[in-house]
Amino acid sequence: MKVGVVGVGCSKFGQREVTLQELTFEAVKEALKDANLSQEDIEISVVGCVGTRGYELMPAVVVNEYCGFAGKGPLRVEAACATGSAAVYTAFSSIKSGLADIAIAIGVEKMTEVDTATSAAIGGRAGNYLWEHHFYGTTFPAYYAMHATAHMAKFGTTERQMAMVAVKAHRNAVKNPKAHFQKEISVEDVLNSRTITYPLKLYDCSPISDGASAAILASEKAIKEHGWDAIWIESVGFSSDTSNMTMREDFVGLKATRIAAEMAYKKAKIDDPLKSFDLATVHDCFTIAEIMAYEDLGFCRKGEGGKFIENGESDFGGKIPVNTFGGLKAKGHPLAATGVAMVYEVVKQLREDAGKLQVDLKHYRALTHNVGGTGHFCWVFIFGR
Amino acid sequence: MIVESRELRLKHRIPVTKTEKFWKGLEEGKVYKTICKCGRSYYPPRADCVCGSETEWVEITGKGVVECFTVVHSIPSGYEWSKPYRIVVARFGEVRVMGWSEEEIFVGDEVSLYTAKDGSGVWKVWFRKG
Repeated sequence: MKVGVVGVGCSKFGQREVTLQELTFEAVKEALKDANLSQEDIEISVVGCVGTRGYELMPAVVVNEYCGFAGKGPLRVEAACATGSAAVYTAFSSIKSGLADIAIAIGVEKMTEVDTATSAAIGGRAGNYLWEHHFYGTTFPAYYAMHATAHMAKFGTTERQMAMVAVKAHRNAVKNPKAHFQKEISVEDVLNSRTITYPLKLYDCSPISDGASAAILASEKAIKEHGWDAIWIESVGFSSDTSNMTMREDFVGLKATRIAAEMAYKKAKIDDPLKSFDLATVHDCFTIAEIMAYEDLGFCRKGEGGKFIENGESDFGGKIPVNTFGGLKAKGHPLAATGVAMVYEVVKQLREDAGKLQVDLKHYRALTHNVGGTGHFCWVFIFGR
Repeated sequence: MIVESRELRLKHRIPVTKTEKFWKGLEEGKVYKTICKCGRSYYPPRADCVCGSETEWVEITGKGVVECFTVVHSIPSGYEWSKPYRIVVARFGEVRVMGWSEEEIFVGDEVSLYTAKDGSGVWKVWFRKG
């Protein structure tokens, strides 16, 4: 049984003065309209929400009621910053298993209702509170910063190369009206911005954003009946790693990404990703994360990620355009919304409906790569038309 | 228009009975890992090996090598009392240890560990060069 995406929606990301459920409905309305469906047609709703920064501690029913899905699930899922992919995976599984023909995956996060120091303390718990944050005040940027210092020491990766990831992200985001940031920046702007946690500076970091996204998935049978022009989920790979960072194999990449990619590539019979995909969305919560993703996804060899961005290989016209809608870095990273927003992006691209950000399609295939925490979770999906 | 939620304060009572030797050890200047007869070593220490056996407590001594570090400038809530702090991860044989350092320590440096209270009175691991 093949499963395809038949409707997508995404809210504007940024500091949004609406409630969690109101924000979600923006994305759900768009997805329903896109698939030409109404709420009654949805059999299972999966609500992805990390929810640790919001006032609704058990948000799934609140979201479900407001969107008109009361009675249709909801299943609430959580996988840190990969929650959106966990929601898509759960909706995908419900169809694959034959339990449903049409399911919706929702990702929503309200992150701006608490102050920045509180947000940093919550993000620092996305690992192992007792053995790391409790003693050493690890924060989410600090975890990636430690990977950056390891990568710099081993491979000579530079702060300038990391800055280039941010510059590319902002350049793409200004053409995406839904992106949080709407201004271009220079390498110097990044290098001169204040240090958040050495070596990461303000512009190396994704912002604290609110956002929601939704994707409606359907079985091959339902797709034929409705006559949808679906974007097919060709393959999925997933993995995870230890909660304690100190127990990892190394700090120059994410093992969960390598395993998830290997699983997804094997199922889809992908030998060379550069010759298989028209674009990729990768998890660039920090600039170093995108550099490591190039390597762990096999776009270049380990240690060559810095050169890959420097040579423009991940830009429009390069070997594989990466994060064409601005990435987490500039589009924004409302945790659970991110993974589903990646699906939104690749569906728009594969339908050739991405406006000024449209890539040229040759393979009609794209990849999403969504990491939870610092490689605590990873999902890689391959989509095709 | 914005309204404020009612305040909810969360402070947890964390049971550390099974790793008490580690917590007491910090106050005595000792840092313990655990090892199992099946060959596994654990740091952070745990009383239960995944193989099902109980582990044994062994002090971590000697020199370690720094594998990564950062200096946190954007201070999270709960650490307001601190100036920017350096987090270091160093390898000591089979295990890696996280700690703070007041010295300028970089990747590849050789370090030794000691324990001391931080500015909030919590005993923890610290590193010094050499």
